[in-house]
Amino acid sequence: MFSEYAALIVLLPVIAFVFTLFLGKKLYSGGALLPIAAIAGSFIISLGIFLEIYPADGMVQQSFPWFAGMNLGILIDPLAVVMLMMVSFVSLLIHIYAVGYMSHDPARPRYFAETSLFTAAMLSVVLSDNILQFFVSWELVGLCSFLLIGFWYHKPSAAAAAKKAFLVTRVGDVLFLAGIVLLYVNMKLLVDNGTLVVESQSYILQFKTMFEAIKLIDGTQLTYITLLFFGGAIGKSGQFPLHGWLPDAMEGPTTVSALIHAATMVTAGVYLVARTFPMFVATPSTISAGVPDALLIVTYVGGFTAIFAATMGLVMNDIKRVLAYSTVSQLGYMMLALGTAGTVLGAKAVGISMFHLLSHAFFKALLFLCAGSVIHAVGTNDIREMGGLFKKMKITGTTMLIAALALAGIGFPFESLGMPIMNIGTAGFFSKDAIIEGALEYGEVTHDMIPYSFAIIAALLTSIYIFRLWFMTFTGKPRSERHSHESPGVMTGPLMILAIFALLFGFSQLGFYGYLEKNFELMDVNIAVHEGEAFHPSAFLILLPVIVGVLGFLISYAIYNKRMINMSKIVSSGNPLYKLLYNRYYEPKIGADLIGVKLTHDVVARSGEFVDRKIIDGLIIDNIISNTLLKLGEIIRKLQTGVVQNYASVTILGIVLLLILLKLKFGGT
Amino acid sequence: MSLYSYLLISIIIFTIGVYGIITQRSGIKILMCIELLLNSANLNLVAFSSYNGNATGQVFAIFSIAIAAAEAAIGFAILVALFRLKDTINLDNINILRW
Repeated sequence: MFSEYAALIVLLPVIAFVFTLFLGKKLYSGGALLPIAAIAGSFIISLGIFLEIYPADGMVQQSFPWFAGMNLGILIDPLAVVMLMMVSFVSLLIHIYAVGYMSHDPARPRYFAETSLFTAAMLSVVLSDNILQFFVSWELVGLCSFLLIGFWYHKPSAAAAAKKAFLVTRVGDVLFLAGIVLLYVNMKLLVDNGTLVVESQSYILQFKTMFEAIKLIDGTQLTYITLLFFGGAIGKSGQFPLHGWLPDAMEGPTTVSALIHAATMVTAGVYLVARTFPMFVATPSTISAGVPDALLIVTYVGGFTAIFAATMGLVMNDIKRVLAYSTVSQLGYMMLALGTAGTVLGAKAVGISMFHLLSHAFFKALLFLCAGSVIHAVGTNDIREMGGLFKKMKITGTTMLIAALALAGIGFPFESLGMPIMNIGTAGFFSKDAIIEGALEYGEVTHDMIPYSFAIIAALLTSIYIFRLWFMTFTGKPRSERHSHESPGVMTGPLMILAIFALLFGFSQLGFYGYLEKNFELMDVNIAVHEGEAFHPSAFLILLPVIVGVLGFLISYAIYNKRMINMSKIVSSGNPLYKLLYNRYYEPKIGADLIGVKLTHDVVARSGEFVDRKIIDGLIIDNIISNTLLKLGEIIRKLQTGVVQNYASVTILGIVLLLILLKLKFGGT
Repeated sequence: MSLYSYLLISIIIFTIGVYGIITQRSGIKILMCIELLLNSANLNLVAFSSYNGNATGQVFAIFSIAIAAAEAAIGFAILVALFRLKDTINLDNINILRW
């Protein structure tokens, strides 16, 4: 019964957007209740659809013709339905939290309208049944991200960050669009020569049809298409080298960071790769034997980003920037999972990656909301000015500790070690362990241990930076004279709900994998799984992720709580490594100074100016062209006499001529 | 009189009007010529209406006359305002928008 109302999942927040934007000022609390009600409706419908299709392994498919052989449609398969529930649920909690967080902001109607539109667009990305609609919604979330990063547009840094986010993700979006065009050209060719038959009620860019065409498209072309898609994912998910916009995006309100730049929008890139996963798997392996080219690149980009971003997270002093780098790093993990597990486990990789995506959404949204609660109370982003907050903010402190434990992947794998107790741990423990295990298995099969070492080192760094953040914020003595207080119930409520998820979500692991594994079977796509001999790592390797997690905790405890090591020597501008990390590998400098000023302005624009001024105007024709044109203009302007009678005469002359011509042509009286 | 004579008169009036608009320089004369054009058209309407035994054309002519009255009122008001400003209604001297 819910399936029939699937379109409402997107439409309800759109309606809320319109009403909040225009009437928000007159409504209670800036119109926050409308989006909350609408998104709650979306969540209930998503949940209802899940309960309907889960027992029967069904899907919801609806489609309407749009234009020129394209369609608008809804496809809710296992992959989409878990994502739908997560997006609407997290968005709902964050909207409730925002009622408290934004209570002092005069522009609340605009805020709630834009987040509502964002939610609609994101839900539309998730349930698209064709790549074109996916792209349109994808651009719409990008627009909302731009608007919300620049929400406080009167701050120059926020305006600049919004611009940067928009431009940098645009690079990825152009690649994505190019991929769609290339795919369309290839498929159109196949349709025209009759190899590919598009049935009635089917459309050329539907995922269904795309997957049917995989076998028919030339392998090299398929690699190009998937890599262009991945380019889009790199831009949206902040992967190296397009990662720079995400930390800057922290200029927006913290709730926006939690919703868009942690839980939902940035994961759209991962979702895109998961969605078109059969295409990635089907690419030929030319670089490394047995590894599809596209997956190899996904693996390395993801793995490198995971470790690269984590190093910068170590030195940031802005509480939100640490979390932003953490997000980039965790997204790298999800990509790594798709690449490595995709090679060795086939379709199961989607389950592994999506599981981390969901558990990450819960604990990272929680981390951001806790950070928001701290910022709301203290009034600064700088963790050097915090400290000792745990006594005053018990709920925030506890929930943030839970989220940190989840991010660090703390738990204990009893069952994997052969003990008769189930594995116990936080959500991040289950999801991250599976990724690291997948990378290990990849290493065993292909004898390439680099992705595995990326994953392990990044896990250690993750644990260090997140506990550094927690210890510096909540323990020790207050380092500044700031008044702080616990946040109101409307803010701590969502924190506690998310904390429950961050703690317990992991236990749904096996059911989750089983459910998502069926996803591509339902779409009639078979992904070859390389079933090697059963894989049994040694106890040490099973424990290693937990060991590095605990190790990171201890390191941070020693340094930032007990102050056993004096950091002032290491953390100084004299240390080149610290300088490199603190300046974010000079990425903003490279972007602005090298590419922006040196390359674009000094080289391209200056040489253009030289050609124009000195060669075109100066040497060759010495202003002949412009002078001639000017003189010609002088003559022609005289035609416009400005005397109405002249115009009237010409008009009448024209009519008379026309009549004469008609007479000559048709004769008669 | 036959329909033909009405049309002939109408054409003569129309031609006078067009000639006046093209040659005259005084604003008032041009407005009067426009009235001539309108009324020649009205004459046509009424003539055809009577010829076909159908009242529509006459109703139309009445509309046209009413609108012509409004047009004349506005036109003359503009000319009066122009005369106060420029002390002339000779269109040759009113050319500030010209190159």
